[in-house]
Amino acid sequence: MSESENTSVRIPTFLDVCEGWHKAATNVQTLNRLLHTDAAIAQTPKEVIWTLNKAKLYRYVPVLPEEKRHKIPLLLVFAIMNRPYVLDLRPGHSFVEYMLKQGYDVYLMDWGIPGPEDKNLSFDDYTLEYLPRAIRKFKAVSGATEFSMLGWCLGALISTLYAALRPDDGLKNLILLTAPLDFSDKSAGGFSRWASHEAFSPDHLVELLGNVPGEIIDTGAKMLKPVENYIGSYVNLWDRINDPHTVDAWHAMNTWVRDTIPMAGAAYKQLINDFYKENRLMNGTLSIRGERVELSHLTASVLNVIAEADHITPPCQSERVMDLIGSEDKELFRVRGGHIGIMAGRGAEKNTWPHMDAWLAARSD
Amino acid sequence: MSQNNNGFDVFDPLGVYKNMRDAQLDAWAKVMVELVNSEAYAEATGVMLQNYLSNTGPVLKAMEAAMQQTLANLNLPSRDDVTRLAERLINIEMRLDSLDAKLDEIHPPTSRPAPKPTRAPKGKARSKENQE
Repeated sequence: MSESENTSVRIPTFLDVCEGWHKAATNVQTLNRLLHTDAAIAQTPKEVIWTLNKAKLYRYVPVLPEEKRHKIPLLLVFAIMNRPYVLDLRPGHSFVEYMLKQGYDVYLMDWGIPGPEDKNLSFDDYTLEYLPRAIRKFKAVSGATEFSMLGWCLGALISTLYAALRPDDGLKNLILLTAPLDFSDKSAGGFSRWASHEAFSPDHLVELLGNVPGEIIDTGAKMLKPVENYIGSYVNLWDRINDPHTVDAWHAMNTWVRDTIPMAGAAYKQLINDFYKENRLMNGTLSIRGERVELSHLTASVLNVIAEADHITPPCQSERVMDLIGSEDKELFRVRGGHIGIMAGRGAEKNTWPHMDAWLAARSD
Repeated sequence: MSQNNNGFDVFDPLGVYKNMRDAQLDAWAKVMVELVNSEAYAEATGVMLQNYLSNTGPVLKAMEAAMQQTLANLNLPSRDDVTRLAERLINIEMRLDSLDAKLDEIHPPTSRPAPKPTRAPKGKARSKENQE
């Protein structure tokens, strides 16, 4: 009998069993820690340069001297119903950190956590009240007359509205990430189907609750893939619980996922009624503070990044906008991955970030 | 000896269990995704939510009215009072921001020194409350 055969049929000793139990106990401890503590997230140094109500505008401290930096600063705009620090998730795996190292002057718009007094905030306010004021301050502080903007998810929707309504405000480059803009296909993805259904009325929900609790939004997002989110994620973690890289990544992401925030009631109603149900932006019937949104007025250079396996914003919701915008310089970039994974997953550093950097670098000096 | 041609290890029962588990989860995930993407699920969710809101709405409103009455009797501000106050503060903030814009035109903030380049710390955890 060979040595390998001896190994494969070896009967475990009492010591092996004890070792196994000890390992299992350690793993349970690790799991408990991951589930009930917060990871070290959003560590890149920054300063607040503007605040209004709950909104804050951050400027990240540059890591390169001024002469090595790009001239055109970059403003990051995230969604209104999640915390924006997913863009600066953890040291060594942070989009903000990466862009600082590539020589960008990076700013981040944090919409804040809406309180009961903010239940009437709508996309009109975000687009034409908060964002222009933040941009004014951002331009004043950076000294730049032109700027680039990256919008992600509903942040991309707000960025698109702003870019179409204020084309002469200095926006040179616009990066749209998983932008939910076109809701013509009511069967594309769970959200579209649920929100477009006549049985679902957001008015009653908002009337009773004011703002929509983060738990409802979180549950809705998780129910799009219930087995993966409620079981698969934990099973995969358990399988790799001895791998520190996997554990750190999972911990950081879980910290972000658990940090749910409410969505302003008026914005929620508008999202469901004007966008999901009536598809007003694509139909050309959307008005923001009385101004008709004409996508043809959007003339900034556009990089539209689509996640091919996105179940929250299916690719079809982001594609058609390319035919409607007035930009001459535009590119559609497809990435393999999901809604969050393309920016915060393991492949982001090799695929999404370098492509965005290359596209932006060519237009930032 | 321990492996057959399919990579199936007869002496690794945990591996066998994991393969079966993953296959089951995959199958279950596909069924569930189809289910939640169906018209019937969308309708059921909408109807359930409406029923929930219809049933809890009157209770919540009655509780709110009772709470407001209690707070008024105790000479304490209600949530609505605090909300109104917050709204006024936001309006004042808007005006201040407009004034700030005018000040920036007179004294551009670019004359202030920019933060010095630094390296991001690779270290300690901070609680979320301290991040801002």
